[in-house]
Amino acid sequence: MRIRIDHKEVEAKEGMTIMQAAALLGISIPALCYHEGITHHASCMVCMVKDLDSGRMLPSCEYPALDGMNIQTHSHEIHEIRREALELLLSDHVGDCEAPCRRSCPAFMDIPEMNRLIAAGRFEEALKVVREEIALPLILGYICPAPCEKACHRASIDGALSICLLKRSTADEGARLFAGIPPIAGNGSDTIAADPGFPHNTGTLNTSGKKVAIIGTGPSGLSAAFYTLRSGHQAVLFDQHKEAGGMLRYHITEEKLPRKALEAEIRVISQMGAEFRLNTLITREFFDNVLLREYHAVIIASGREEQQITDDFGLELDEHGLKVSRTTLEAHHHRGIFACGNIIRKRQMAVRSVAQGKAAALSADHYLKTGKPGPAHQMFNSSFGRLLETEFGEYLKESPAAARLEPAKGFTGGFTEAEAIKEAARCMNCDCRKPVTCKLRIYADEYQAHQKRFAGNERKLISKSLQHEFVVYEAEKCIKCGICVEITKSEHELQGLTYIGRGFDVRINVPLGGSMEGALVRTGKKVIEACPTGALACKINHNEKRRDS
Amino acid sequence: MKEYSENIHKTVDRIIARRGTSVTAVIPILQDIQQEFNHLPKEALDYTCQVTEISPARIEGVASFYSQFRRHKTGEHIISVCAGTACHVKGSGLVYDAIRREMKLDPNENTDADGIFTIEKVACLGCCTLAPVVRIDTVTYGHVMPENAGEILSDFLKRRKQPVKAGSNAAPSSAVKGEIRIGLGSCCIASGSQEVKTELEKTVAEAGIRVDVKQVGCVGICNQVPILEIVKPGENTAFYARIKPEEVKQVVLSHFRPEGSYRRFKSRVVGMFENMMADEEPRSVQKYMFEQRDSPLSAFLGPQVNIATENRGIVRPCDISEYRNAGGFEALKKCLETMSPQDVIDEIKASGLRGRGGAGFPTGRKWQLVHDQVSDEKYIICNGDEGDPGAFMDRMLLESYPYRIIEGMIIAAYATGSHNGLFYIRAEYPLAVQRISEAIQVCRDEGILGDSGPLAMDHRSQIPIRKSPISNHQPPIPDHRISFDIRIFEGAGAFVCGEETALIASIEGNRGIPRLRPPYPAIQGIYGKPTLINNTETFSLVSWIIRKGSAEFARIGTEGSKGTKVFALAGKVKRGGLIEVPMGISIKKIVEEIGGGIADDRQFKAVQIGGPSGGCIPAALADLPIDFEALTEAGGMMGSGGLVVLDDADCMVDIAHYFLSFTQNQSCGQCTFCRIGTRRMLELLEKIRSGEGVAEDLEKLQHLAKSTHTGSLCGLGKTAPNPVLSTLRYFRHEYEAHLKGCCPAGKCTPLISYSITEECIGCTKCAQRCPSDAIAFKPYEVHSIDREKCIKCDICRQVCPVEAVKVGSIER
Repeated sequence: MRIRIDHKEVEAKEGMTIMQAAALLGISIPALCYHEGITHHASCMVCMVKDLDSGRMLPSCEYPALDGMNIQTHSHEIHEIRREALELLLSDHVGDCEAPCRRSCPAFMDIPEMNRLIAAGRFEEALKVVREEIALPLILGYICPAPCEKACHRASIDGALSICLLKRSTADEGARLFAGIPPIAGNGSDTIAADPGFPHNTGTLNTSGKKVAIIGTGPSGLSAAFYTLRSGHQAVLFDQHKEAGGMLRYHITEEKLPRKALEAEIRVISQMGAEFRLNTLITREFFDNVLLREYHAVIIASGREEQQITDDFGLELDEHGLKVSRTTLEAHHHRGIFACGNIIRKRQMAVRSVAQGKAAALSADHYLKTGKPGPAHQMFNSSFGRLLETEFGEYLKESPAAARLEPAKGFTGGFTEAEAIKEAARCMNCDCRKPVTCKLRIYADEYQAHQKRFAGNERKLISKSLQHEFVVYEAEKCIKCGICVEITKSEHELQGLTYIGRGFDVRINVPLGGSMEGALVRTGKKVIEACPTGALACKINHNEKRRDS
Repeated sequence: MKEYSENIHKTVDRIIARRGTSVTAVIPILQDIQQEFNHLPKEALDYTCQVTEISPARIEGVASFYSQFRRHKTGEHIISVCAGTACHVKGSGLVYDAIRREMKLDPNENTDADGIFTIEKVACLGCCTLAPVVRIDTVTYGHVMPENAGEILSDFLKRRKQPVKAGSNAAPSSAVKGEIRIGLGSCCIASGSQEVKTELEKTVAEAGIRVDVKQVGCVGICNQVPILEIVKPGENTAFYARIKPEEVKQVVLSHFRPEGSYRRFKSRVVGMFENMMADEEPRSVQKYMFEQRDSPLSAFLGPQVNIATENRGIVRPCDISEYRNAGGFEALKKCLETMSPQDVIDEIKASGLRGRGGAGFPTGRKWQLVHDQVSDEKYIICNGDEGDPGAFMDRMLLESYPYRIIEGMIIAAYATGSHNGLFYIRAEYPLAVQRISEAIQVCRDEGILGDSGPLAMDHRSQIPIRKSPISNHQPPIPDHRISFDIRIFEGAGAFVCGEETALIASIEGNRGIPRLRPPYPAIQGIYGKPTLINNTETFSLVSWIIRKGSAEFARIGTEGSKGTKVFALAGKVKRGGLIEVPMGISIKKIVEEIGGGIADDRQFKAVQIGGPSGGCIPAALADLPIDFEALTEAGGMMGSGGLVVLDDADCMVDIAHYFLSFTQNQSCGQCTFCRIGTRRMLELLEKIRSGEGVAEDLEKLQHLAKSTHTGSLCGLGKTAPNPVLSTLRYFRHEYEAHLKGCCPAGKCTPLISYSITEECIGCTKCAQRCPSDAIAFKPYEVHSIDREKCIKCDICRQVCPVEAVKVGSIER
C-alpha cells in the first residue's frame, strides 16, 4: 500500500505502523513508550503525527499505516502537542537530571561525579572531571563561596557536603595538578597529564593556527586562556600589572588564598602554552591596530578597576557594564570581541567569572570554527526542588550516616586524603544515573519543554529501591510506559513487574509486595536498557559514559 | 495462623472449582474472594496464583485497577454516599462530611474506631431522583440532609437488630378482581417500596381480597415513588404516590371489598371518591388518576414515547408469559420466519437506529461489519456498564425489561451469525444482575437460549434451519437446536470499561485499559473474534423496530437521530424520573413539561446533558432539539442519557470541577494527556474555585482541555474536557467572577460565608445543630455565626425555620 508522509510517497507493508513507514523515508519520530519487539500500547503521545485527511492527531507508534493515508510529521501544531505531552510528563517526573549542587554551580561542575571518584580514592580522575568545567580548582578551593553547598540536598539533613574543600583536594597535591588537562582538540588521544614531559612549546598545542588575545589575567582571563588552549588555539594574555592573577593577587589576601596556590595554577596555564604579556597597558591604538588586526578573536577580561577599556575602545555599555550578548558573551555589535568577568557585571563571585571565562572561550572557539559565536547550550534539567524530611531516609540509603566532616587542619589546611575520601562518601548521589541516555531529557531538550509549565499542586514523594543486586528503581521518575512490565511478562519472570492502581496514581512495582530481586531475576539488564527514563537504572555504574558523550 | 491459611486455601479452592483456573476468570475469582472475606487477603491472592494460571502481575494489576476491590478489611457495614451528579447538586458532599463527623473520623480514615462502619463515596447508586442518597449495606436512604446524618446511622443500627421480614406472597390467584402494581426497581426499593409491598401483601391476605399484587419494573416516575397503582376492571387506574407502609391498608380498602372481617370498615368508604381524597386517605399521599388532565402525572407521561420502555409499569419483569402476551418474541419469530440475516440488518439500517451508548454510531452498519466477518466464533455483548454519575437508564431497562433486551440480542445474533452472548453489567447493580440471570434461565428452560435455542445455524450459510413452523400457541421458539446462549459478566467498578475496548480487556481478565482502534471490535474483539457491542438501550429498541417496521421507528425523531431516547431526568426539576422521549423534542419541553419546571421557584440555568462526557447547555439554548449532532455542536453530548437540570444556585465552575474530578478519578492512566492533563486541569479548577485563580489560568485550562481532547486515545479522555469547555464557552463570566473572589451561586465554600439576619427568632435550632460550635446558644436572641469556627456545612441554613441564615460572598 502507498501512503504519503510529509509529501513523500512510500510503499508500506501491511501491518506496519505509521512510524515504521516513516522510517522507510528516513523520517524519525520521537517516542518514549515504544520499544521494538514487545507488545506495544501507545501511551506517551510524544509520537503524535497528523492525519491530514481527517485532521486527527494519531500516535504513530501504534497506529497502522493505512492505504492512501496522508500524514504530516512536522508542523508547529505537532511540535506543540509533543511538547505538551513532554511537559505533562515532566510535571509528574520527580527527579533531578543533574544534582542541585551542580545546577547551582555557576561553572556547572559535575560535583557528584567528583565526589564518587574521590570516595573511590581516584583523585586524578576526579580532577579531570573538575577541569571539564573549572579551570582553577585549587584557587576556587580556597575562595569559592560555594553556592553548591547551600543547594546540597544534604544541607537540611546533617550538613552539606564539604564540596569546596573536596574540589581543592582534587588539585592540591603538586604532581596531581596537571592531571585532567584534557586532550588537545583534534590532536589524538594523548593527554598532557599522561605525558610526564609536559610540553612547554606552545607551537605544538596551537593546532588551529588561530590566535586569541585575552585582556586581563584575573579569574575570568585565566579561565578563558585555559579553555582557549584546550580548544587548540593560541592564547596571549595581556595585563598592565607586573604579575598575573588580577584581583586574585591584588584584592585577596594571602591568608585567604595562599600565593602558592595562585602561582601553581598560573603555572599550569603557562605550561599549557599560554603567553603572558605583563606590564602592558592596552591603549586604543594598540587595541585597534594590534589586537584587532593580529588576533583572530579578543576576549576582554580586564575586570573593573584596571582600565576603562569600554570608554576608550568604543564598545557599548549598559547598566551592568560592557554590553554583551547574554548567550554568546559577544560584545554588542562587535563580531569576534568577547567579554567576561567583572567587566560585564560588577562584583561577581570568582566562580562566576571562571565560568564566564570558560563560556567566552568556548563561544570564541565556535566563532573561530564557524564564523558565528556559539551560545553555550545548557541541556534541559529536570528538578524537583526541596527534599522533604520524609524523603531523607530514601536519599540516605546510598551513603553513610555521618555529619559533615571538618578537616583536622582547619579550612586553610584542607582535607587529608583519608578525610576527603570519607567526606566524599557522604554524597547522596542526587544526580540521575541516566543523564545521557534518558529519552525524556533528550526530547525535553529538543522540544524546549518547560517542566514548570503544568506544575502540579504537590509532588509525589520520592522513593529509591536499591534492594536489587544491580537495579535501582526510582518510581517517581517513571512515565508509566509499561515497557518493563511487558519485558518481564514476555520473558516469563515468575513475579515480574506490574501496574498497580490506575489513573494519575498508577505506578509500576513488584506485585503482591514482592521484592525487586524476585521480580527481575533474568531481565534486570534488559529493563534498565529499555527504560526510557532514569526510573530503572544500573546501580553500580552511576556515571553512565558521561564524559565520553 | 495455620488455621487461618487453611481456611483461606479451602475457600479459594472452592471458588476455583466454580470459576475455573484460566486467566479470564480472574475478576470473578476476585469478586468471590471479596464476597467471602470482605476484602482481598494477600494470602488468598498468593494462593490463587499458585493454583491457577493467573500470574502475580496480573492479579495485582487487576485487583488494584477496579475500585470494587479492597485490600484491607473494612468495617462491618459499608456506608456508600452517592456522588452522582444529581446527588452532588443536591449537596451530597455536605452529607458525606456530616456522616464523617458523626463517625468521628480522622481525615485519612474511612472506618470508625469500633469497626462498625466504613464510609466511601460511590460513583452513582442510580437513584438520582431520591438525591442525595446514602446506602448502608442494602438499606438505602433517600433525600438525606447533613443534619440527618446521625439519624440514619442509628436507624440502620436499629434495623440491624430487628430485621424486616419479607412478606409472604399470599395473594389468592383465583377470581382476581384487579391488580395492585408496585414498582420494584432499585429506586423504588430505595424509597421503601419493599416495605410497602410487604404491608400490601399482609393487608390483602388479612382482608382476603382477591387481587393480584404484582411487582413490576421501574415505572419511571421516580420522583413519586413508592408508587402504588390500582387497576380494577371498570374503574380508572389510580396511582398513589409516595405512599408509606402505614397508609397501605387504608388505600387498599378504599378500592377493594374485604372478604372477611374488614368488610364493614370498607363499606363505609366505597364509592365516595371525592370524600376519600379529603378524608379517608392519608394526607401525605398524592393520588392521581391516569386520565386526569393536567395532573402532574399526565404531564410527566404525556410527551413520552415508550419503545425501550414499552409496557412500562405493567409487566412483571421476569414473567415471560406476560412478556409474550405483550408482543414479546414476535419480532424474533418474524426474523426467523420471514427474514434473512441481511434482511434484519437492512431493516435496522433503514430504521436509522444509532447506538445509544453515547457516540451514536449507526447500529445497522455495526451489525453489517460483524456480519461480513468470516470467523468460527462471533460474540454479542450487551454493554450494561453504565457508569455515568447521574444516569440509570440501563439499570432500569435491565431490571424492568430483561426479555426485551435478550430478544434484541438474539436478533442481533441471528443477523450477525453469532453463538455467544454476554451481558456486561456493573456489579453495583445487583438487582439487574439478578433479574437478567433469572430471565436467562427462564429463556433456557423455555428453549429460547442455550442448547435448544432457536438459531440452529448452518455455519457456512448462516441461515437458520427451521424444523417446524412456529405457531402462536407454542412457545414462539420451538424445538430447534442450539445456537445462542448468554452469560453474565459483572463489571468490577471502572467507568472506563464502558468503552468497548476496555470492556473487552476486562472480560479477558485484564486491567480495563482501552486500546487503539483500529482494529475495531467488530473485526477483532473479544479473544480476537468479531464482536458486536451494543448498549443496553440499543438492544431494547430492536424488537420494536422489527415488530413495527423500520419506517414506524424512522417516523419519530429528526433527520439524523431517529426513534426515542431514554433519559434519567434529575436535578432541580419538580419531577425527576426515567423518561423516554422522541428524538427532536426540545430541552425546554423536557424540563418544563415533563419535569414540571424548576423546583423551589428558582431560575432555570442550564442542563447538563451527557454526564462527564457531555456539557452544560444554557437555558438560553433550551429550544435545542434532542439530536446527536445538535447536542454535540452546542458543546453537549447525547452521552448515555444523564440529564441533570441546574438552577441559579448551581455554580458552573463547581459543576465543571465535579465532572472533571469524576473522569480524572476514572482515567485508566494510560495516555499522558488523560492521566496527567485531567489532573492538572482539576488542580486549576480547584485553584479557581477557591478564588486563587488568575486570568492566565483560564487560558491554561482551555489549552489543556483542547490538547487532552486531541491527545487521548479513548472516548473517556477525548470527552473528559467537555464539561470544562462547555462551561467556559457559556459561563465564562462565572469563571471570571471567581478570579475576582466571588462565587455568584454561593456554592464554592472558600468564597462564601454564613451569617444570621435580624429575622432570627432565637429558636436555637441552629445553635443546637451546629457541629463546630460556631453559633452560641442564646434563646430568644438574634444568633450569630463565628466565622472562624464555621465549617460551612450548611446545616444552620437548612434547619432555620425563618430563613434567617444567609449565604454571602466572603469579604476579601
